[in-house]
Amino acid sequence: MIKNALTDIGGIGIYGVISICLFFAVFTGALFLTLRMKKSFADKMSSLPLDDGDNTDKGVPHE
Amino acid sequence: MNTNIETFKYDNRIVRAFAIATIVWGLVGFSAGLLIACQLFWPELNLNLQFTTFGRLRPLHTNAVIFAFVGNGMFMGIYYSLQRLCKARMFSDKLSWLNFWGWQAIIISAAVTLPLGLTSSKEYAELEWPIDIAIAVIWVAFSINLFGTILKRREKHLYVAIWFYIATAVTVAMLHIVNSLEMPAGLFKSYSIYAGVQDALVQWWYGHNAVAFFLTTPYLGLMYYFLPKAAERPVFSYRLSIIHFWALLFIYIWAGPHHLLYTALPDWAQSLGMVFSLMLIAPSWGGMLNGLLTLRGAWNKLREEPMLKFMVVAVTAYGMATLEGPMLAIKSVNSLSHYTDWTIAHVHTGALGWNGFLTFSVLYWLFPRLYNTRLYSVKLANWHFWLGLLGMMFYVIPMYWSGITQGLMWKQFTNEGFMQYPNFLETVLQLIPMYKLRAIGGTFYILGACLMTYNLYKTAKSGVFVPEVEVQAPSLKSQPEHPEEKHPWGHRWIESKPMVMTAFALVAVAIGGLVEIIPMWIIKENIPTIASVKPYSPLEVLGRDIYIREGCVGCHSQMIRPFRSETERYGEYSKAGEFVFDHPFLWGSKRTGPDLHRIGGKYPDAWHFNHMDDPRLTSPGSIMPRYPWLLTQKLETSSLPARIGALRKVGVPYPAGFEATAQKELETQQKKVVENLKVGAITNAPADREIIALVAYLQRLGTDIKVKPAAPAAPGAPPPPPPKTARTDSTTPARN
Repeated sequence: MIKNALTDIGGIGIYGVISICLFFAVFTGALFLTLRMKKSFADKMSSLPLDDGDNTDKGVPHE
Repeated sequence: MNTNIETFKYDNRIVRAFAIATIVWGLVGFSAGLLIACQLFWPELNLNLQFTTFGRLRPLHTNAVIFAFVGNGMFMGIYYSLQRLCKARMFSDKLSWLNFWGWQAIIISAAVTLPLGLTSSKEYAELEWPIDIAIAVIWVAFSINLFGTILKRREKHLYVAIWFYIATAVTVAMLHIVNSLEMPAGLFKSYSIYAGVQDALVQWWYGHNAVAFFLTTPYLGLMYYFLPKAAERPVFSYRLSIIHFWALLFIYIWAGPHHLLYTALPDWAQSLGMVFSLMLIAPSWGGMLNGLLTLRGAWNKLREEPMLKFMVVAVTAYGMATLEGPMLAIKSVNSLSHYTDWTIAHVHTGALGWNGFLTFSVLYWLFPRLYNTRLYSVKLANWHFWLGLLGMMFYVIPMYWSGITQGLMWKQFTNEGFMQYPNFLETVLQLIPMYKLRAIGGTFYILGACLMTYNLYKTAKSGVFVPEVEVQAPSLKSQPEHPEEKHPWGHRWIESKPMVMTAFALVAVAIGGLVEIIPMWIIKENIPTIASVKPYSPLEVLGRDIYIREGCVGCHSQMIRPFRSETERYGEYSKAGEFVFDHPFLWGSKRTGPDLHRIGGKYPDAWHFNHMDDPRLTSPGSIMPRYPWLLTQKLETSSLPARIGALRKVGVPYPAGFEATAQKELETQQKKVVENLKVGAITNAPADREIIALVAYLQRLGTDIKVKPAAPAAPGAPPPPPPKTARTDSTTPARN
């Protein structure tokens, strides 16, 4: 029944394969870039929000 | 002294303006939601006004919450954090204020036009074409301001929050433009350039990614900025944030078709949507864990800092919603959940938990700092927290119960093989107690938001506003270039090149959309044509426009899925080829009332007439509002030529000059409906009222495939007469 309801197009299987390949490429690319990153740089970047030169954002402590 | 040190000021005024707008529109959006939630067990609550029916206010609620509350909240957070992360004032104060006032004007125009019934009917994109253009203009102003600020930054590397802002800016622009392509038929009316299956695919590519890139990515940016600020800890893993960003960006865009499972959308597109939805769990949970683990060693701060409590619940709700989403995208689960309140529960886990609580969190953090004081009352904030959390529970749990109950009832057969609950209304009446509980939840949530408003107002009164913050930082040029930044083989290089980052982000989001949508455009066999499917007659066109105006699509689907439980209840399942003239498609996403795709011919015309006058006359206990104005308001036909012309331009094959005869054909069909009404003892219905057009449209729905095709002509025989349908003696032209 479902087969009759839904249509297909020739060679559409390739879309699934392309999709997975693209995702695999992007994911491994990001992983590769990440692993190459130096720890000192990652540490510096991760604490960037804490070092914005704005002293007002420390806030007044609650009572 | 270093002469490269520059002095500049952060602009807090624009942040405060967006913060106030966030609070005001939040209260409006939540209240609209509560009103329509109450209408579902108390239909008279629209006060018998056409401007306040569920159908018209539902888009007002969703637009107010998404674009007004979250939209302003997003701008508030971005304008605060971007300046500080770039160590630069916003690129242009003028653009900042154009962004602010333009956005408020768009919201107000939405608040006026939606109750008036001026809608394109496409979910979360209901606003008509002039407002769509205004949205594009204001979004461009925001984007220029965003990129301008990034370009004049004094911090070489773009922090992860900014990547999410960039992704938001480019993707929302792309989604909005592609989905809003429409042909105007007057100042406040347009028709989507796409039809049927294509329109559905484009709409849900947009709808799904509006959730992704309007409700998720900018708020992830805010999480990555404000959570470390409040916890006074660096983000747990910067590396994880890179994976989170790119994987999320790349995968999210593919998952749109999971909104259309088991519909007439081609199978390959559905499967693609399902697989990518499941893959989406990985980056979503990576982000959630990155947020929660940032609090490692700082959980004790939750006792002192109310904003962190809100943040933790927000991030947890994000995790829950992003696990549930992929589960709902599994076809077998979706067959039960789709069209029920389960979806409503799911989106409110995201909206109330993730977006709501994260916005509250940022507001509690910002106000004391903007006014250089302490929060007026931590106790009140804690009350807000518990009221909000309780409100969420009272909302979400009854909706799960309701969704699963109704989904199972729809599918239940007796041992003899008959439908256990053949009357749709029977399944609705089961849910009324759940709807009441939901309204209690909504009330709690709003009460909490009112406490916050009072608390923040008192906080502001107790302090002095700091309009600008003066800071110093070395100029970008004075900062030496690191060797790794010269070569394009590390993420460090990408992070120091905003335009490269933007281009990569655009490519990542464009691929998924193109792979899905282009085959739909170019491959004809995706939508098998059905010879007997014909364009709507002039009266049906106007009837359909009334159906759109009243927001019927908010409660009634027009898409029968290929299940026995649906074909038994509604009739033949829906075929892709039946919608080729539907600009826009009206498949709907929720069945508060029954599916209407095969409603044509099911009841006499008089039944529809009485039902629209008062649904409880024909269906005792119905929760549908009355539509008495349809019986008295005169059908507006002066715009008919413009509407026919616009539909022809988007591909409906009305012949040239059809406008000249359309009015006459319309009147003929009106008379026929009036005659049919007399059979049902309605003898005084004037032909020129709106109800006549609506009845004509409803009686047409789903009937085309029932028309018997003419036998093939023998060679040399005269051509057969055009097929006549039960609905009309229409001279509507045959499709080419």
